[in-house]
Amino acid sequence: MSSPPVPEIAAAAFDFVSEKAGIREFRLRSNGLKLLLLSNTVAPVATFAVVYHVGSRNEAVGHTGATHLLEHLMFKGTAEYDREKGTAVAAVLEALGARFNATTSFDRTNYYETVPSDSIEIAVRIEASRMRGALLRDSDRVPEMTVVRNEYERGENSPFQVLYKETFATAFREHPYHHPTIGWRADIEGVSTDRLKEFYDVFYHPNNATAMLIGDFEEEKALAIVGRHFGPIPSSARPIPPVYTVEPPQEGERRFIVRRTGQIAWIALSWRSVEAGHPDTPALSVLGNILGVGLTARLHLALVEESLALSVTVVPWQLRDPALFSVFAPVRPGVEPGVVEARIRREIARVASEGVTEEEAKKARTQIEAEVIFDRDSTDQVAASLSEAIAVADWEWYADYPDQVGRVTAEDLRRVATTYFRDDALTVGLYLPKESPAA
Amino acid sequence: MTPASRLPGRRVSFDESVRRRTLGNGARLFVLENRFNPTVAISGSLNAGSLFAPPDRRLLASVTAGELAKGTARRTKLQIAEELESRGASLSFSAGGGDPVGVDIGAASLSRDLEVLLDVLAEVLLSPVFPEEELEKERMRLVGVLREQQDQTSVRAFEAASRRIYPRGHPFHRRRVEERIAAVESVSRDELLRFYEDRYGAETLLLVLVGDVDSEKILDGLERRLGSWKRGPSPEIPRPGPVPAAPGSETVRMPDKASADVVLAQPADLVRQDPEYIACILANSALGQSSLTSRLGVRVRDTEGLTYGIHSGFSATYLAGPFAVSLTVKPESRDAAVAATLEEITRFRRDGMTGTELTDEQSSHVGRFKVDLASNGGIAHAIDASVYYGLGVSYLDEYPSLVRAVTKEQADAAFAKRVDPDQFTIVSAGSFPS
Repeated sequence: MSSPPVPEIAAAAFDFVSEKAGIREFRLRSNGLKLLLLSNTVAPVATFAVVYHVGSRNEAVGHTGATHLLEHLMFKGTAEYDREKGTAVAAVLEALGARFNATTSFDRTNYYETVPSDSIEIAVRIEASRMRGALLRDSDRVPEMTVVRNEYERGENSPFQVLYKETFATAFREHPYHHPTIGWRADIEGVSTDRLKEFYDVFYHPNNATAMLIGDFEEEKALAIVGRHFGPIPSSARPIPPVYTVEPPQEGERRFIVRRTGQIAWIALSWRSVEAGHPDTPALSVLGNILGVGLTARLHLALVEESLALSVTVVPWQLRDPALFSVFAPVRPGVEPGVVEARIRREIARVASEGVTEEEAKKARTQIEAEVIFDRDSTDQVAASLSEAIAVADWEWYADYPDQVGRVTAEDLRRVATTYFRDDALTVGLYLPKESPAA
Repeated sequence: MTPASRLPGRRVSFDESVRRRTLGNGARLFVLENRFNPTVAISGSLNAGSLFAPPDRRLLASVTAGELAKGTARRTKLQIAEELESRGASLSFSAGGGDPVGVDIGAASLSRDLEVLLDVLAEVLLSPVFPEEELEKERMRLVGVLREQQDQTSVRAFEAASRRIYPRGHPFHRRRVEERIAAVESVSRDELLRFYEDRYGAETLLLVLVGDVDSEKILDGLERRLGSWKRGPSPEIPRPGPVPAAPGSETVRMPDKASADVVLAQPADLVRQDPEYIACILANSALGQSSLTSRLGVRVRDTEGLTYGIHSGFSATYLAGPFAVSLTVKPESRDAAVAATLEEITRFRRDGMTGTELTDEQSSHVGRFKVDLASNGGIAHAIDASVYYGLGVSYLDEYPSLVRAVTKEQADAAFAKRVDPDQFTIVSAGSFPS
């Protein structure tokens, strides 16, 4: 397929880099900002998003949670958009009817807004203003810290979130995936505004970000708008510091128990796996579907159909650095958690010893193919998927993903199960109710 | 691309572009072609919610809906699931949530698999057999789910508030968990069959399909599959009388909870078809729809930092549900947060919205309407809701002007008439000292 020519206005400010699966990559000459454009004219709306390559992976003890707290402060005020002036970011976007938010994860922070197409420039302008113009006032951090602390506390109420945090803290000892994105409580409370500013000044630059526009727009106008607002922002004076910490291999099974008052026990089994960019990632993803998606998935049949668990969730984590392959299940009252653990281990071992059928592989591949097509029903869903891809690998990874998944064979699945589902690489977590369930 | 494919840009109105057919047995079908992406979304409903179950057997509605796809005259649960899952398609029936009248039908598939999806949809709707062994598994699972929910501060706060406000037997009253567990354990296959026979039928069935389809062909296909179904019960909806407010407060003590949930609720006289509905939701948006921009959010979250989330809202369906404010707090911050919340509601009710608030909320609702209609699922859901509440497909075309027509006086009066800060039932659930 031949690409449409690059418009003249854009040629002045942008380099056209490449195109795949309808996604066109440009680079802003003045500062290195990467821009992705994907036309989707399903409706007269568009999603503009900016992904910063900074997440809790870039933090250390003392300022865990800083990326997330900073994300909150980005709603508090910039030179141009400020509550004090009646132009708070959220108020401006809300008045447009935008669907907007920001989220922080291990590998990235993203800001996005889905707006009627005639308001694209407002979204772009807000994000440009956030990139270098955040005010980061101490008087904003103080009340926002307690907001974030309540977010942390809400997470502590959830057995699933508690297990998930403890699982990463146990499976990773050296790599920063050890600490949760929300941060440790004392760090949330203690981090100073100056430290957050320092963090902002290190990571919030055009050369550490990718912008994307997905939806109903004219390319030439879109390039002009992005160039106008982001073009004047200089790239960082210093290089963006890389993360060089590597988690060494796990040399034996690890276990932990959390006991709290409650009615239901939960269990989590997680095996060390690979980084998203690894060639085995598509096979692990297909395996995740075979084990965990739908009533006919293997672990659903083994646990829920057998009335051992209330549900089961399988997560083949896809992160920038090697991550985990996790299974979570709330245990049905009256069932010993050990029985559920044994059953999960047996099913996982069976994949390695007996493999899976070609029909199971085909079903899982079709499910993933359908998910990708469903994504394209809405611009914000495409933006969300593309943001994750950029954070953990690059946008071409997203474009290539359906083909990569389509090539996974039953034999690949058996091989990855044998390679990664080893007892020495396993972390088992139990969340146990402190009191017996009420009669 | 067909003219309808660039939907809400809308040179063509919804009223003109939605194809519809009412079958001889009363089933109402709506199809909108949108050929941008090779997918189809289905949204629908049927009047078989908990309102139609005996007051002490409300769970029959959700269990019956949940068990429909557990086996038919032709196929087992796993055969049905395999048929859909092998194509990445989905189908669900659910009763519950805030609307005691309807069972929600939701489905999606790639357009190439639509015929299979419609076959399954019709089969489970027309010939479910409710196998005993599946019901036994579901009883055990539901007991576990009920226990799991009892660990959640939000569930405990809402349930306690519902018991204080609504009398036993009322569709919004939630009985204590022990009673509900006993009901789950005793629910029988005969009861499900009887509820299905009594409440399921074509007359109240509504199905909306949006996506990459040929509308006439799909309408013919639906008629072939559903045309022979029995008419079933009439669409008449019994309405419980008004309930007085029950001001007062209660604390539900739950150990080991870092965050507490607080609910402030009162019965509010608002149904979805009320001419003042839009005025009420505009006023509520200014007060508490968004944790970031509404008055409650700006005061309790943004300024005082007492909560991560605070929301208010009416529950207006065919029945008038409560007006409720919910927030999460560190237990020690509860009293300050509740006082700030009540102060803002009192001020809002006394002084009303500012002119800017009203115009901001109006543009926000009109813009959000466009944004929400940007997917097949969003459009299907919007058409379904408009028809379900008797507002008609044309309501979607009129909605922006209806929103813009509301005046400040109307919004203020509509809100003040229904919400009184002195009438709240206030329930907190969390680790409070005794």
